[in-house]
Amino acid sequence: MSIRTPNLFAYRELIAALAWKNIVVRYKQAYLGLLWAVIKPVMLMLIFTLVKSFVGIETGDIPYPILTFAALMPWIFFQESASEGVNSITANTALIKKIYFPREVFPLTAMVTKLVELAISFVILAALMAYYQMMPTIHALWVPLIILYTMLVALTISFFGSALNVYYRDVAQALPVLLSLAMYASPVIYPLSLVKTKLIDEQAAGEWSNTLYTIYNINPLAGIIDSFQKCLLQGVAPDFTSLLPGVITTLVLLFLSYLYFKKAENWFADII
Amino acid sequence: MSPVIEVKNLTKEYNLGTVTSAKDTLRHTLAKLRGKNTWHRENFKALDDINFSVEKGEVIGIIGHNGAGKSTLLKHLANITKPTSGEVVVRGSVAPLIEVGAGINPELTGRENIFLNGAILGIPKNVIRDKVNSIIEFSELEKFIDTPVKRYSSGMQVKLGFSIATSMDAEILIIDEVLAVGDLAFQRKCFNRMEELIHQQGRTVLLVSHNIRQVERMCSRVILLNQGKILQDGESHSTCDQFYQINNKVISNQNNSNTKRISTSGEVTVEKIDIIDGNNQPTESITEGSTLKIRIKFTLNNALQTPEFHIGTHTTDFIYLTGESTALLKEDFKLSAGTHEIEQHITSYPLVPGSYGIRMAVIDQKGRVLFYGENLHFFNVTAKTSDSPLQDELRLIASDVTWKGLLQNQQKNQPTEN
Repeated sequence: MSIRTPNLFAYRELIAALAWKNIVVRYKQAYLGLLWAVIKPVMLMLIFTLVKSFVGIETGDIPYPILTFAALMPWIFFQESASEGVNSITANTALIKKIYFPREVFPLTAMVTKLVELAISFVILAALMAYYQMMPTIHALWVPLIILYTMLVALTISFFGSALNVYYRDVAQALPVLLSLAMYASPVIYPLSLVKTKLIDEQAAGEWSNTLYTIYNINPLAGIIDSFQKCLLQGVAPDFTSLLPGVITTLVLLFLSYLYFKKAENWFADII
Repeated sequence: MSPVIEVKNLTKEYNLGTVTSAKDTLRHTLAKLRGKNTWHRENFKALDDINFSVEKGEVIGIIGHNGAGKSTLLKHLANITKPTSGEVVVRGSVAPLIEVGAGINPELTGRENIFLNGAILGIPKNVIRDKVNSIIEFSELEKFIDTPVKRYSSGMQVKLGFSIATSMDAEILIIDEVLAVGDLAFQRKCFNRMEELIHQQGRTVLLVSHNIRQVERMCSRVILLNQGKILQDGESHSTCDQFYQINNKVISNQNNSNTKRISTSGEVTVEKIDIIDGNNQPTESITEGSTLKIRIKFTLNNALQTPEFHIGTHTTDFIYLTGESTALLKEDFKLSAGTHEIEQHITSYPLVPGSYGIRMAVIDQKGRVLFYGENLHFFNVTAKTSDSPLQDELRLIASDVTWKGLLQNQQKNQPTEN
């Protein structure tokens, strides 16, 4: 079976125009405009900080608010890119049925839209870092790569999910539930170091401890969030042992997901 | 040079019914694994073994009834959907005009929509920037261009959509019934714009429309589709003629279906209605301007003293054309119970080629309506000559005229020419 990958670079203007439309349309009649994009992570950060003061989560030498904010940034970017991506084909029924351009444009556009919102969150993060007097180091240069990797993870879900959603709208219904579960399986509220201490150092699950830690890291978000925090807040290089299982999973699944998308896209206009 | 569009054995099938739920899909797949096929879906062939090719610079019309497969064909050419079997090769950039305003977003302003739609249609940003003023000017929306489209009237939205859609440069244009937009003045403008686009730089154009006259005028070649098959592919006039004939056939087939509108007291039953020709034989059609003979056979339950018969014709959309009554005879007669026949002759039936229906009323002496029916029978009027220069949509009545002036000059000139 052969799939032809279109030259998506040729469609950069279209992706830019559609992403711009998404942003303009979303915030046009909103007084606070783009500020809404950062209100969600900021609110969650405040709530988590409040909860943390009751239950106590070991965070090392990094203040909890900034640690959780740095976790929420990639998490929310991933979560919203994936859910927007999954809905992107069905949300553009009119275009799908009338005009041809590569259908990959829709999930990609959903992600570019979220990238803009992520960029705004960086302003808040910078302010928090200044408040806690943290200086970024050379390792901050890893951040673009980490974001690119997050995009690939989100695309893996978007391609498969959006194509399947054309046939079964159950996908779009189930996804928010699954994603909110996934948040607890990712080091958002608690840091990865906590999991590592429990499993590797304390061997809390007996002989299964090391295997369990690897399984935990199959979730690409574990590596992503941990690396994001390490590179920006601690100023050290990413922990590749926590990244590797997720990277392998993502690359395999991304290929399969894209294959399914390309196979299904021929019938989008007929089924949608 | 190879043709710009090649369609080979194109077949497209659709499943009838709704998309099955995940549960059903699972159930059927499991059954299939056990070797039983529980999957019974009816297929519908929207396109059935279509073959044609288009050379660069041709202007081709695609006509046919609703559901003949015209839009499905265009969707394949525009790469929106894929064939079930067969092949579609398109060489060159295709600009779809499949529907005006497909990409218009109501939240954005007119100007923003021009840029967005430009991108959707694949027009580079700098090209749009150059064209934006001429697009706004054409749309006649200068005053409203920075207002969100959601506050536009529907006519204004359509004008904007048309202006954007016709601003692009592509080697192959696909147009699906987009001309009928806006008010009459704007329609005229659109029409001119389309002609300009079509005849510009030897562009290849595919035009789908129900306006046969327009297709005949604009296209050099017409493809007639019927139930997913190409019925005729050739010179536009003869193909359009063929389409008219099919149209008439469809309508006369309604003679067999139950489209009659009858209200009756039960005292009169119409047995049979025939149009009869010169040899006193029943026929389906008469020639334009010849005698129309309607013969109606009916049964009376009771004897009637001087009932009034009113017989007339109407178009298929119930415009009453003729209608004459036996009351004008001013003669007394008596009809016994039983079957009778009555004929009405119209010496020169003046209507243009097309399909017409027959209506009849029977009224007794006291003015009580015993029977009234429309659509009782259909017949066709056919053209006198096959190469009639006149468009039937442009007239309703074929009148018998004589010309003066021109012919005398011609006669004067004739001897010198010979």
